[in-house]
Amino acid sequence: MPSKTIAQNITTLVKSNRVIWYGFLLVLMLVGVYGLSMRVQTGLISTNLTSNVPWGAWVAFYIYFVGLSAGAFLLSSLIFVFGMEKYEKIGREALLAAILSMVLAMMFISLDLGRMEKFWHSLVYFNPFSVLSYEVRFYGLYVLILITELYLSMRQDLIKNAQRNDLKGKIAKICSLGSTDLSKQSEERDHKWLKILGSIGIPIAIFGVHGGTGALFAVVKAQHYWNSAIFPVIFVVSALVSGTALLITFYIIRQKVMGGQVDKTMVQSLAGLMIGFLIVDIGLQFYEYLISAYSLDHHALDTLAILFGGKFSLISFWLGQTFIGAVVPIFLYFKFRESVNALLIGAIMVVFGIVAVRFNIVVPPLLIPQLGGLTGGYYFPSSVEWMTSVGVIGFGLLLYSLSVSILPVDLSSPIEKIGGGVKDNG
Amino acid sequence: MVKENIKEKISRRDFFKSSSFGAKAWAAELLAEDEARPKETKWAMVIDLQKCIGCDTCTVSCKAENRTPPGVTYNVVLKEKVGTFPNVTKINTPRPCMQCDQPACKQVCPVKATYKMKNGIVAIDYNRCIGCRYCMVACPYGARYFDFGENYEQEMLGYNSYQTNEYGVEKGERKKKAPVGIVRKCHFCFHRLQRGEEPACVETCLGDARYIGDLNNPDSIVSKLVHSGRAVRLKENMATEPRVYYLK
Repeated sequence: MPSKTIAQNITTLVKSNRVIWYGFLLVLMLVGVYGLSMRVQTGLISTNLTSNVPWGAWVAFYIYFVGLSAGAFLLSSLIFVFGMEKYEKIGREALLAAILSMVLAMMFISLDLGRMEKFWHSLVYFNPFSVLSYEVRFYGLYVLILITELYLSMRQDLIKNAQRNDLKGKIAKICSLGSTDLSKQSEERDHKWLKILGSIGIPIAIFGVHGGTGALFAVVKAQHYWNSAIFPVIFVVSALVSGTALLITFYIIRQKVMGGQVDKTMVQSLAGLMIGFLIVDIGLQFYEYLISAYSLDHHALDTLAILFGGKFSLISFWLGQTFIGAVVPIFLYFKFRESVNALLIGAIMVVFGIVAVRFNIVVPPLLIPQLGGLTGGYYFPSSVEWMTSVGVIGFGLLLYSLSVSILPVDLSSPIEKIGGGVKDNG
Repeated sequence: MVKENIKEKISRRDFFKSSSFGAKAWAAELLAEDEARPKETKWAMVIDLQKCIGCDTCTVSCKAENRTPPGVTYNVVLKEKVGTFPNVTKINTPRPCMQCDQPACKQVCPVKATYKMKNGIVAIDYNRCIGCRYCMVACPYGARYFDFGENYEQEMLGYNSYQTNEYGVEKGERKKKAPVGIVRKCHFCFHRLQRGEEPACVETCLGDARYIGDLNNPDSIVSKLVHSGRAVRLKENMATEPRVYYLK
């Protein structure tokens, strides 16, 4: 009997928490809607962008979310392509996070366009010499692959859910796209296709989507700091860092909220991956700084000076990127590996730290004028930029929360049986 | 036209056959033809830094001619102090768009809104540009400006009622449509060149420091100055091949 009351307590707790959570997201989105209305009415004058610093917070968030997406997807491919069953529990969540991150990235970059209504030009007109032109197409292809993969991985559970008579069942019925095949063969076919699509997706995610986004910056010869071949590699590695961190965060928080069991071994293993990627990332970034410094190019040296000692360097580089994004998570991992909460805090800090990393990529080189005598730039995001960013992120969290509560993102029990060994971990 | 070409080819082939030293004579004929044909005008600008006094007249006249909004200045004069006291000099470097032959901006544009015209000018299709500002980031000369939609209506009555017919296209009133929200830059006053006039900066330069002309014509003043040995270009290492030359 006591166990039942505890269960009831948990459900009421979850319910009241849910109200608070959705209320919070609603507030975020209202702030975002206000920012968006300002943005649409007055155009880019509502931002603190200038002709000297043409890219700012929105572009930083755009590459941040593309990175999250690529990272989450690559993690999912560990499961679907390389058959690492120990991460199976986060497989679908990884795909979902990858899709939603991509949606957010596209929202951010549309906000950033001077003429938002002409965004379709980027699909209709093609410049074979422009990296960005290829990027746009890669994004589309990538999202299609992600959606198909998510569908295939959930198909049987969707069909099972479709038999229910509530809203969840109805949505499952729509999402199952009329498929009713519950046989073992069809499941095997799904897994085969998951493997094929995942294998196609890996090079697209690495070279097309996120490496490509890095190449977007790396090909710009005029910005010495970006112009190195190591840049796209750094993008991919930091994508893996942030993607893994995001999934750890989502997984642990969701298990805690839903009152489920946190699979500690899996979390530890994921945290190990994250820290490993993070250390590689820091090493590569060190090389990047070294290349810039050794070039003795004044543009590159000035960029480094701003990065390490500029006006906002204390917050964005030393506190954001270094302390929150690297030092503390690494410390937590090596000191408090046994505590799930410590790992959660570490992962959350990495998720925030990589935001600083993205800002540090985009903004510092642009602050330096291209020719001596041109005015230098100054940039700090305006209130509209902050408000819209908060709103878009709130919207993303809303989409995530809704999808998680409606779609069968968690493995249902039959698959757990097939997977085996899952119970042992719990 | 096509028929004539075929005829020409046939006659050339006949000539070829009849001639005892075929290839040589053919090459000679082609060369002669090439020299005789009037080449298309390919614009270039030469700016004599010894003559420039840094008066900013070019900047002002450019703003007046192109009616550029606040924050958009197609032409600026970069003023740099060089050296340490007492050995100090001041270098004035007027900076229009370089109209590069290998433009970094054209390379990166995702929608081909920036393109190179046959006459050497790098143009922007105002209706196609989506305002992603990748070109601004890629330009090694900082020559590109984003039109944030500001205006001089406060200082200058009727500023919004008329826009310059840049690229020879009538634009009418300045409203919330392109070129607002897109990237703009110097185009050697293409609309003036079309009318047979010099760009505003060249025409108004006090010291007569700026020249515009056809670099395809070896007899033009511009060609002679470019080959004078005094001519340098900005950031040659960028491989952008600018069409603006400076005389040291």
